[in-house]
Amino acid sequence: MKPLKLLGLFIIPMGLIIAAVPQNKTNPYKLTAEEVLNEANTRNQFVTADVVADMIIKKDPTLRLIDVRSQEEFEKFSLPGAINIPSASLLSEEYADILNQDVKMNVLYSNGTLAANEAWMITRQLGYTNNYVLEGGLNYWFDAILNPQKPASTNPDEEFAKYDFRKSAGQALGGGGLTVQAASDQAGTSAKPVVKAAAKKKKAAGGC
Amino acid sequence: MSMSTSKEIKQTKYLNPYLGGVLLGLVLLSANFIAGRGLGASGAIKSVVATTIKAVDKDAVKTMPFMAEYAESHGSNPMKSWLVFEMLGVLVGGFISGALAGRLKLKVEHSPKITSRRRLIFALAGGVLFGFGSQLGRGCTSGAALSGMAVLSLGGFITMMAIFGTAFALAYFFRKNWI
Amino acid sequence: MGPLAPNELISENTNFLFAFLIGIAFGFVLESSGFSSSRKLAGIFYGYDAVVLKVFFTGAITCMLGLLFMSLFGWIDLDLVYVNPTYLTSAIVGGVVMGAGFIMGGFCPGTSFCGAAIGKIDGMVFVAGLFLGIYGFAFTYGWWEKLYMANYLGEPKISASLGLSDGLFGLILILAALAMFWVAEWAEKKFPREAY
Repeated sequence: MKPLKLLGLFIIPMGLIIAAVPQNKTNPYKLTAEEVLNEANTRNQFVTADVVADMIIKKDPTLRLIDVRSQEEFEKFSLPGAINIPSASLLSEEYADILNQDVKMNVLYSNGTLAANEAWMITRQLGYTNNYVLEGGLNYWFDAILNPQKPASTNPDEEFAKYDFRKSAGQALGGGGLTVQAASDQAGTSAKPVVKAAAKKKKAAGGC
Repeated sequence: MSMSTSKEIKQTKYLNPYLGGVLLGLVLLSANFIAGRGLGASGAIKSVVATTIKAVDKDAVKTMPFMAEYAESHGSNPMKSWLVFEMLGVLVGGFISGALAGRLKLKVEHSPKITSRRRLIFALAGGVLFGFGSQLGRGCTSGAALSGMAVLSLGGFITMMAIFGTAFALAYFFRKNWI
Repeated sequence: MGPLAPNELISENTNFLFAFLIGIAFGFVLESSGFSSSRKLAGIFYGYDAVVLKVFFTGAITCMLGLLFMSLFGWIDLDLVYVNPTYLTSAIVGGVVMGAGFIMGGFCPGTSFCGAAIGKIDGMVFVAGLFLGIYGFAFTYGWWEKLYMANYLGEPKISASLGLSDGLFGLILILAALAMFWVAEWAEKKFPREAY
């Protein structure tokens, strides 16, 4: 058979198949279930409310708060500067660049910890780094930061320090005009997680 | 290898072009799969140019915007680039193929209607233009046109149309060199 | 999951080794198909030899189909494969200048290396010309910089700019190429020349 006919016989069906079949847009898993479970059990993904409050007050540019609740709940109340990525749309392409990056520290939060932690697990399965979970969620935030309980007089000094910090933080974050300077030293004992400049997969250079 | 029966026009034994195309496509596919990039050629020469300029003038990166732009996208050693290794391979591969087919011969290939000298002058001029154009076009037929088409790049496609379109348009004026 | 190097499944040096091997294959296929001969290369513009058209488009289509099918099977992540950027002005101007160089010199950079590798002096001279051209560009860069950087459109795909899916565009390209091959074969019969 003429080579041209032979060629056509092969590539036309292939072209038809590739035109007909929808593109494969699935995100490949990077971590196994076991790996994600192990990571989840170390609880390193949690960030305390104190640390986040401190970052907000200091206007730390690496912080990015992500509200994983529905849009309605987000519009009713959200943390200052937070963006809304509802859990249901977590895998949508438009948010991929926000969740998969190495410049900002994404702190996911929900009312409690469940939803945010679930979202975090999913991002980990996809191999994304620099996503964290706000420990205690908004419920704890309200209790601890915005309405801190004064510790009993017998409590250790750190508790008082935390309380002072939270009181001023709460006022600053609750909309009060109080300036907060002393807060910085007492910003909780937990170290602030560092944004991992992950070896983000870059495209190879090409051309020429 | 070359002479067949007197009835047929003298044929040099080349691969069937469609087969050659499929093989070329597979080579290109392996490049994309392994290195995440397509083939190229002019970039390797650009690397050599940048290396020589740097060798002669160590501060070229500061004085020449071309060198600065190049240094941005390439590491400290411009010769340690994918394309340089690839083009070295091309020389070897071309040589092996020519050797196996008995096509190794030092000569100037030209239409019998023109002189060797004329052919060489046009080869040089063509090279200068192509080299210059490949920089503007960010690639040549291998990099922009072939590899670009395979990944459906719009820029690659446009450059390819421009190359072939212009060559077709100017073919009439250079016909004496070829036919 | 490919591509291997961007996914760091192979080291940089392994990547360079592969570059060399792929180059050998590239050079071998080009030369075997006749791309070491400037007269064969120029043939498409006069109708007597369509090898450039056939090899070029068959190659591009083969690779394109390969990439799309591999992506379908999950063997390659197309987002990590380099797509040439589109700088509209310089893409066109550069292409025009290259076209002129092509019809005058009868080579392009890759094929000139092949020609030079088998002893074609015109190929070697073409390579020398390439160097001169690029030096010229380097030293006069300031004059062209604006043009070079104009109209950056990102890295759009042809299919996206036409509003088609990759696969559908691929099918159209295949049909267009087959049609061109058919016309080319007719032309080759009509304008036969001694084979080079």
